[in-house]
Amino acid sequence: MSSNNMIEVKNVSKEFKKIIKEPGLKGSVKSLFHKKQEIVKAVDDISFTVEKGEILGFIGPNGAGKSTAIKMLTGILTPTSGDIMINGQVPYKNRKKYVKEIGVVFGQRTQLWWDLPLTETFTVLKEIYQIEDAAFKNRMDFLNQVLELEPFIKSPVRTLSLGQRMRADIAASMIHNPKVLFLDEPTIGLDVVVKDNIRKAITEINQNEKTTIILTTHDISDIELLCKRIVMIDKGKKVYDGALDKMKEKYGKMREIHINLKSIEDMNKLAFTEKFNLLEDDLEVKLEGKKATIKFNSSKAQVSDMLSYILATITVKDIAVSEADIEEIIRRLYKG
Amino acid sequence: MFGKMRKVYGGFFRAGAQGAMAYRLNFMGFFIGESLYCFVMYFMWKAVFMASGESTFMGFTLVDMTMYVFLSNIVGFFTGTDSTRALAEEIRDGNIIMRMIKPVNVDLSLLANEVGNNVVYFAFIFAPVMLGVEIYRYCALGYVAFDIVSFLIFILSMILSYILSFYLNLIFGYLAFWLMNIWGFDILKGSIIKFFSGAMIPLAFFPGIVRDIFELLPFASMVYKPTMIYMGKISGVNILVALGEQIIWILVFYGIAKLLWHFAQKRLAVQGG
Ligand SMILES: Nc1ncnc2c1ncn2[C@@H]1O[C@H](COP(=O)(O)OP(=O)(O)OP(=O)(O)O)[C@@H](O)[C@H]1O
Ligand SMILES: [Mg+2]
Repeated sequence: MSSNNMIEVKNVSKEFKKIIKEPGLKGSVKSLFHKKQEIVKAVDDISFTVEKGEILGFIGPNGAGKSTAIKMLTGILTPTSGDIMINGQVPYKNRKKYVKEIGVVFGQRTQLWWDLPLTETFTVLKEIYQIEDAAFKNRMDFLNQVLELEPFIKSPVRTLSLGQRMRADIAASMIHNPKVLFLDEPTIGLDVVVKDNIRKAITEINQNEKTTIILTTHDISDIELLCKRIVMIDKGKKVYDGALDKMKEKYGKMREIHINLKSIEDMNKLAFTEKFNLLEDDLEVKLEGKKATIKFNSSKAQVSDMLSYILATITVKDIAVSEADIEEIIRRLYKG
Repeated sequence: MFGKMRKVYGGFFRAGAQGAMAYRLNFMGFFIGESLYCFVMYFMWKAVFMASGESTFMGFTLVDMTMYVFLSNIVGFFTGTDSTRALAEEIRDGNIIMRMIKPVNVDLSLLANEVGNNVVYFAFIFAPVMLGVEIYRYCALGYVAFDIVSFLIFILSMILSYILSFYLNLIFGYLAFWLMNIWGFDILKGSIIKFFSGAMIPLAFFPGIVRDIFELLPFASMVYKPTMIYMGKISGVNILVALGEQIIWILVFYGIAKLLWHFAQKRLAVQGG
């Protein structure tokens, strides 16, 4: 194990047995006697490493296996095969010892005590993690300031709004100075302001303490703002591992031209495919009223050529060019 | 070591207590229901005694029987934990992972929650009921029969019964790892405990060999034995035997629960994103 790696994941797979039940009462009765089982490979032979202090974005479409992977990394699930070494420990071996030095947020659940006021939740956590008084106070002050917990810190958790609860959950995951943070969709369902708060907290913790962070999200801005490196998985398999910039370079050749048309019929005069010899994947044309968006692969057709072709063929009210955003890149990756 | 445990699990205890306080109205309803049940049982046994025309029945006077009805009910109430349902629900909806990401034992954290819950009930229900039982006994007998030593041993026995019942319930709860719906098992477990623990009929009323067997089963340790200790019907060295049996059953169920958890963790399939 290289001394700089906080997380090492080697050929890890996780299989689930799914019991197939035939529909209806007959199926229920039948399944009592002999169960038909199907094996689902939720995570399929994944390897990667994360350096100390790195923030890794873990992305992939719904059902890709992100949460399953996080559950293995946090010691909740035992891998079917493969090895995991985090902070010098095997997560599922000595769970109680291991989890002392990690923080976890599952955005769709809460680790807070539903009926306790938020302050008391933190006091409870202080006891569970045996945090010294002074360290605890410092930490609370910091979290209070970044995540703005003050307005609702006296309220029972069950009365918090989603955004308040999520901020509290993030704070709870950081209260004991964990060496590694696992955040599974920490911004799900939040408004821009709260998302911003949470990103700030993540960045500060990472910079101040060199906390290693793995984060899953469907919000690409999270990735763009927080992660230098991403691992993408699809159907349990790793499909990309590398710098975000490299991915943009590799897949980010798409450009968009937005046109405000004089007349909708004009669109029929444009024949990009023939003119530039484009494949189906290289071009996408959308028309909304008089607004046309032409998305194309700029390595096949130069932006300048496209523009001159359009301007030479039709008259336009307005025209603009933009770079396809990372979301678009990922969408294309998911498809491919 | 003990102080550390108290600190670590104190939070779960407080959470349980606060939870119970938040739903105070629930236990008023519960209390009324249980009381009604006790009075129904009381009138039924009274009718039995009247019909038989005897003043004692299998060594029980009507006063004994009345005490038994109320005591066994309160013992059953306090030692019957909700952990089967609570645990099964956490397994089913996946919230058990929130316990697993903290440096605590899943069983002890659940126990601390439950004890916290029960302490609130205890304060609100136990004291009044015990006082009521003693006042009744005083009125019926004409003298104070309360014995502090029996009472303390009774409390100890009840605590053992509670732990025993907790681990038995935990075992049923763990079944949720294998069966996603344990509703039927939970009902079955409830009926078995109700019948074999002596909560419905004192085990002393069963004939010879049946009674001997019933008294050996773990369920007898859950309600029957603590109740009989309080009533002074188990005495002398037999008290030690009864407490010893409770401890043995605790160890057995604790062992089974640990084993099940060990297997469950290997094949744990937490549901939901
Ligand atoms: N307990 C389970 N039993 C059976 N199959 C499961 C179980 N948990 C997850 N799966 C399956 O494993 C696959 C991966 O699920 P997972 O929750 O890891 O996806 P995800 O990448 O987190 O998706 P999302 O973005 O929607 O949260 C899915 O096909 C899912 O149905
Ligand atoms: Mg998920």
